[in-house]
Amino acid sequence: MMGHPSRWMALLVRFRRLRAGRLLAALTAALSAGLTLSGCIPRWQLPTTLYIAVGVSNDQAIDSEVVQDVQDKLRQLETGFQQLYPNTVFQFSLYPEAEIVEAIRLRTSRGLGPDLALVNGDTALRLLHEGLTDPFPATAEQINAFDPGELRRIRARGSELAGLPLLLQTQLSCFNRERLATPPATVDDVLTTAADGIPIGLPATIENLFWSAGSLGAVAGIDQASMGQEPSKEGKAGIERWLRWLQNASYQQRVLFYSNQPQAEADLASGQLDWITCRSTMLPRLRRKMGQRLGVAPLPDGDTSTASPINRLRVLALGRNSSQAGRKRAVAFGRFGMNPLTQRNLTLGSQIYLPTNRLVRVPVMSSAVLAAMETASQQGRQADQLVNLLHSSDRRIELVQNLINEVVFGEVNPQQATDRMIQILREGP
Amino acid sequence: MKELLLEILGWLGYLERPEVALQLALSLGLLSLTRAARHRRWLRRVPYLGYTPVGLMLLALGCLVFRWIAIPYGLARLLGGLWLGWYALNLLDRLLARWLPADRVKQLGSRLLRPLYLIAAAMLLIRSLDSLQDLAVIQFGQLLGVSINAGKLFNSLLVIYLVLVGCGPPAAGLAWMVQRALRLGDGSRKALELMLQYLVVGLGLVGVAIHLGVNTTGLIAVAGGLSVGLGFGVKEVFSNFVSGIWLLFEGSVRPGEVLMIDGDPCEVRRLGLRATLLWRDRDNAELLIPNQAFFTEAATTYTASDRMRRSQVSVGAAYHHNPDQVIALLEATALAVPRVLSDPAPKALLLSYGDSSINYALRFWIANPMTNAGICSEVNQAIWTAFQREGIEIPFPQQVQYGMTGPPGSPQPDANRLR
Repeated sequence: MMGHPSRWMALLVRFRRLRAGRLLAALTAALSAGLTLSGCIPRWQLPTTLYIAVGVSNDQAIDSEVVQDVQDKLRQLETGFQQLYPNTVFQFSLYPEAEIVEAIRLRTSRGLGPDLALVNGDTALRLLHEGLTDPFPATAEQINAFDPGELRRIRARGSELAGLPLLLQTQLSCFNRERLATPPATVDDVLTTAADGIPIGLPATIENLFWSAGSLGAVAGIDQASMGQEPSKEGKAGIERWLRWLQNASYQQRVLFYSNQPQAEADLASGQLDWITCRSTMLPRLRRKMGQRLGVAPLPDGDTSTASPINRLRVLALGRNSSQAGRKRAVAFGRFGMNPLTQRNLTLGSQIYLPTNRLVRVPVMSSAVLAAMETASQQGRQADQLVNLLHSSDRRIELVQNLINEVVFGEVNPQQATDRMIQILREGP
Repeated sequence: MKELLLEILGWLGYLERPEVALQLALSLGLLSLTRAARHRRWLRRVPYLGYTPVGLMLLALGCLVFRWIAIPYGLARLLGGLWLGWYALNLLDRLLARWLPADRVKQLGSRLLRPLYLIAAAMLLIRSLDSLQDLAVIQFGQLLGVSINAGKLFNSLLVIYLVLVGCGPPAAGLAWMVQRALRLGDGSRKALELMLQYLVVGLGLVGVAIHLGVNTTGLIAVAGGLSVGLGFGVKEVFSNFVSGIWLLFEGSVRPGEVLMIDGDPCEVRRLGLRATLLWRDRDNAELLIPNQAFFTEAATTYTASDRMRRSQVSVGAAYHHNPDQVIALLEATALAVPRVLSDPAPKALLLSYGDSSINYALRFWIANPMTNAGICSEVNQAIWTAFQREGIEIPFPQQVQYGMTGPPGSPQPDANRLR
């Protein structure tokens, strides 16, 4: 049965003489032949991997909790999409929003760019302008599903869409219900509440403070200045009122200005603060830490005008390096994301996003958080024009931020600060 | 861990992109081709080190073509850059060999420069495929109540590696400065160097534990557990380690010391965590002896209080020479050998009256115990020359055998068979 020993020895010697490459080739050929004969190949297909780069807010460190939160939300989409396209695998990469353009540029130059980028609207525009993404191919029917105001934020070169709007993250006020039965309804109430001994936290970044510009009637003047025009008398008075309010707030003992949002949120969770402005994306983390104590409300309006929070429109932009199959799946995923059923599930499941599809009704009666977010969404329309005029990379943002810091620290009086702000904004990008 | 593996497997999906496959084929193809060409010397006129630049130029040309036809070529450029860096490391080895000993260059390259380069290259490649910040927070599990993620683990391992490998040169520099300041001997300097290395490694490990967030109670609990474990499982390892530290402090077995091992003088090269490395001059062998052996067994050293060794050669002179003359000649001869110390002075002794000669011993002192065999040879040669010159005979044993005379009438034995 074993054959002659010398034949086996000869075979062994020949085997040892075979080079590794030849051996590998022989094995591969044998395996392929075996698979073909057994009829495995026609049924077996490699999965399509969708690479998605996700921008994370700049004032949020990428830690395991953030990654988990983002992945939990995206997994909902993933699971739904896989029911339609079972052979799809997702891979998410998280980058700070300020670094994502550079990261995508680097990866795209190597042919390893993501198939999709889930970023803020202005980042999507920047990516398109810099040739790092392709315009999203949307039909008129699909475009009709979105709010025209939101679409304006992501339109480039006339009609091209820098991405497909997927979600809306809003800015709200978060408070400790045990200490504050009713949150401040107006900006004056905020200062009165602080005077009553309730600690208030305000993140001092321009993006997080801009809501108060609307409450104090400064948005029109800022918009005019940003367009290069001299603001009207009322507009200028509104800017001065806003800056004066900020300075007054800084004089209050119980109003604390924070250099970053996460610190303010941590202090609210630990009970050192009772009222802060917060981002809807941070609600799960705050809920985990505060439980029933967490109260959520829209940002306070003014006597005659409403708050102007800068809500973040999250859009899906198409990367440029996708394979043919990858591109098909990416477009399909974008369309799946705007599907009313998906949007409703995302909204109700997470309670931190609002749908971008106009056909989806937000059940505001059943959830106070969703009602607050819906109000924030309405309030945020005031800031749409400014968001279109001032992109996150605009140098004027940094200059205005420095000026706000000076106002808060009392280095400059509101009147002088108003003139300087108008000057900065009128200078253009 | 599973998450990380899935993430890594997910990168394989990039291969379905034609431009990625093309770039990889170009880069890896040219790399393989260059290696094959160099191995088989396809280009006779190109020197051995010239093949890589040719390969890199071809890769650059390929990148230009990709650019011309608007295909991304950054990955090929990156791989080319990494290839160039590796080539530069090879050149650096040759450059360093001019100033540093070969074993140092090899150690520096294989233990520090190349591993660091590979880590940097891996980071660059991963950065092209994924977000490092994102990968860094992948959880691996809990250690003493502290969650360990990929970033923390990577940083900790890197720091431990750098401390283990990279603390040598700074410790050597500091030990050298202390030696100069306190006028210590070479052995003390080497001992100090080793102790500094242990200190840095110890501090590094504690630093890593603190970086990981391990609390001190946890560390103490681990130490308690380890002490039980040490008593049973790793007793020998720990015993060798402690013996090494003890020997260092005691100063009896330190780098540079000369010990007699199985009758041969051996120089201590390195006192390691587990074993001591000794060098035997006789056959250039390196001996690895567990530290515990020196701790528990008797050892002969030539370098405990000084480095001098008293050596001895023996010689016989014929009976008809005056022993006074022979002794004086032997002592004068030893003094004339350059590597024999004049103080203490060489001393010749009449040892015994042998069968065919008077036996003398010549005792002399040498500065380096490791050179004993060579100096003995020189002294023996000088004695032969001196005896020849003075007409002193070195006799050798002579034996005369006489054939036995048999009884009358018996045949006489063959004379040729008598020796």
